[in-house]
Amino acid sequence: MVVLSAARWLRSRLSERFWRVQEVLKYARHFRGRKNRCYKLAVRSVRRAFVRSTKARREKKRFLRALWITRIEAASLEHGLKYPAFISNLVKTQVELNRKVLADLAIYEPKTFKSLAALAQRRRQEGFLAALGDGKEPEGIFSRIVHHH
Amino acid sequence: VAKTSLTSPPWPEVKLPDPVEEAKYHAAEVVRKVNGLISAGQYGRLFAVVHFASKQWKITNEDLIMMDNVLEAECGDRIRMEKVLLVGADDFTLIGRPLLGKDLVRVEATVIEKTESWPKVNLRFWRRHNYQRKKIIANPQTVLRINTIEIYPCLS
Repeated sequence: MVVLSAARWLRSRLSERFWRVQEVLKYARHFRGRKNRCYKLAVRSVRRAFVRSTKARREKKRFLRALWITRIEAASLEHGLKYPAFISNLVKTQVELNRKVLADLAIYEPKTFKSLAALAQRRRQEGFLAALGDGKEPEGIFSRIVHHH
Repeated sequence: VAKTSLTSPPWPEVKLPDPVEEAKYHAAEVVRKVNGLISAGQYGRLFAVVHFASKQWKITNEDLIMMDNVLEAECGDRIRMEKVLLVGADDFTLIGRPLLGKDLVRVEATVIEKTESWPKVNLRFWRRHNYQRKKIIANPQTVLRINTIEIYPCLS
């Protein structure tokens, strides 16, 4: 006889449910509480964990840059320079070191960092001298300064 | 004329050394001394700052470096890194503006392994909107070992 559809008592049931559940639980094994054991709670936690890790990968770059800047600021203050002065003068002397390397040098190579700070300080003084001009009084009648002797 | 609070500027007066004299001192004393040290070989471990794979690395001998991209060189190839920004030892540092000369420094590295990173999960999820996209990323990585950093006494 011809059978067009399966009988009603014939159902297709999952035989690999265990492995599908383990795929999610393996990411939750180090969590705290029942969400490391119970699938229903683990699914939600694992999903939030993945979303948070994707967003954190973008923010890690911002966070690390702020950390490097803090470290460079602390090291340059030890040598008597503030961070904006240090970085701007270093850039003006055409030294293209980035903040990651400067922070590493400040930690592991203190003598090199001291020489970089001295370089920046010297460039700063030269910049001030170039901006101040000769130091004489300005010409012109109304801007002449009267001396009382 | 009596000195008031406005006779001299409030910032400290700084006298910079004479440029001609300083150039003479630099050429005679500093360069000769450093050249002498380099040719005598009286430096311990050298470190260098190298610009490679669009990143700056602070490296020494026998260092391992991992780049997050593909390098078109087979495993076991020797590579010379040319963009060196800084070289230092215990007593002296050579700072490049911005790069040091190729006849001054030589940094050699070997490609050790080319693998993929661990599978990172990229998940985007909006709650209550039935929106979920999952992507597994395994980006290629290359591991290099820095063999040697050499400097030659050709300062001027």
